[in-house]
Order: sequence, then C-alpha cells, then structure tokens
Amino acid sequence: MVNLILRLVLGSIFVAAGVTKIWPVKVTTAPFTMTVTSYAPDASEFAGSVLNYRVPPRALNNLVAITFPWIELLAGGLLMCGIWKRASTVVITVLMVVFLIVIGQAVARGLNISCGCFGTVEGRKVGLTALAEDTAMFAAALWLLWRDKEKEENPA
Amino acid sequence: MRQIVQRALIILIGGAALGLAANLVSPRRIPLITPPKQAIPETEFIPLSEAYALWSGGAGFFLDARAPADYKAGHIPNAFSLPAEEFDAYYPQVESMLNTDSAIVCYCNGVECDLSRHLAEVLKQRGFTNIRILKNAWTEWVKAGYPIAKGAQP
Repeated sequence: MVNLILRLVLGSIFVAAGVTKIWPVKVTTAPFTMTVTSYAPDASEFAGSVLNYRVPPRALNNLVAITFPWIELLAGGLLMCGIWKRASTVVITVLMVVFLIVIGQAVARGLNISCGCFGTVEGRKVGLTALAEDTAMFAAALWLLWRDKEKEENPA
Repeated sequence: MRQIVQRALIILIGGAALGLAANLVSPRRIPLITPPKQAIPETEFIPLSEAYALWSGGAGFFLDARAPADYKAGHIPNAFSLPAEEFDAYYPQVESMLNTDSAIVCYCNGVECDLSRHLAEVLKQRGFTNIRILKNAWTEWVKAGYPIAKGAQP
C-alpha cells in the first residue's frame, strides 16, 4: 500500500515536472489563470534554466534541455502505471542524484537563479527548499528500489 | 538484474529519442549544441557618467532587468521594471512607450549579473537597435550618490 502511494506520488511529480518543461505554462496569480504558452514542444525556456546552473560543458546544455524532460515524463508515467517499476525507479533514482548534485552546487555557489524544476511555473528560486524536496524524492525512490520488488518479473 | 538495467537504458534512450524528435518537429526547435556565449562589444556598455547624463536629460529609457522585489526595494528613478526572467508578463506594460530606435539602457546589479544582457538580447530580437548596458548598475549608481526611487512605481 505504501509502495503504491509512493509510486503514484513520485511518478506523478515526474510527469508534472516533465510536462511543464516541455510545454511551458504561464501562471498569473489573481485571478488565477494558467495558460499554455505554446502547444508545440518548446525547450527554449528550460534551456535557459539549465544554462543558469552554469554546469559545464556549456555546449551540451541544450541537449540536456531537449532530452531530460521527456525522460522524466516517460519514467514517471511508467512508474505511475506500474509498468517496468524497477527500471523506471532506477532511472528516477539516477535523475534524482543528478538533480541533487546540480542544485547542490548552485546553492553552494550562492547562485540566485530560478529552479526550473517545474518549468518556470512557480518562479521559484533554487535554494534549500528545493534541495529538501529533492532529498525527500530521492529517499522515496530509494525506498521503492529497496521494497518494491517485482516478483512476477523474476520467475524462479 | 540485467533485465532491469536493459529496461532502464531503454527508458533513458527512448526518452532522449522522444525529446530529440519532438524538438526536431517543433516550430520552436532549439539547436542541439548550445550556441557559444557572445562576447559583448565594449560599445554596448554605457559608462556610468554617460548614463547619468542621459538619465538627467530625460532622453533615455532605463529598464530594470532585476526581479520585481529588487526593483521595489530601490531602483533608478523613472526606470521601468522589466524583469528579464518574467519578460512576457511585464513587456506589455512598457511596449507602447518604446520605439525601436529609443535609447534604451538595461541594467541589473553585480558584475556577474546576466539579466541586463539577457534583456538586451531579447529586445534586440524584437527589433530594438539602440540598447546599451550599464554594468554593475545599481551598486555603482548608489555609490555615485545619484538619486534613487523606491516602490513598485517608476
């Protein structure tokens, strides 16, 4: 039961993170509206967020911005649906390690940049909160790796 | 175990392939390799004294590229807030006041600050031709003892 909830939560967070990076949305607070700025996949906004982290090599930043959101979406979707649970958890765990390192270095360097974690929806700055959330998600992924075995996929 | 690794690789490669394909067919595609940072020619920077002369003559438009909260805390008087990171939300408010040949000075704060450069690039793409950047503006402006304004209004 715990595993199922964790899977649904972690999976849906990854799906949301992927979708908002692929199709940037614009949110205005009062009155609350959310508009999709482009129905065509638009990696430019996320590419800007990636650049802000200033992780070399700079030349590969765009490639990361183009591919990562779709990997998030795919892995999150599979985890939610319970398809290839182990493999998608492995991918998510690896991604979480990458995110923790990248966000960690930004916090350590005191970069005043927006997180880019869910597109630029929340306009949230990278900081200890983002780091704490990612640590919690990393812990959830580790838990699933440890406890959520797919017995049916390992026939004796 | 091997099966899990294989499937994980399929997810990674499949996701990457989807991303590349989506970017390829999207009208908003971006180049696969990040274009190198363009060095800014010195002429694009405006010296502080020149900026002050422009400002006191009332001839130039000063655009504050920092976050709205920074603008509110203190800005160059008569400068408009146009946060580089929220360009689309703020641009309509200043659009009608600008001509493509208006003398525009973009500023942010700190020698490492990229916001004014980002803003200048975006404006250039929109056809503005007379844009200059005031380096480390807010710090220098305050240090020089020039007038400042506070609050959300110019």
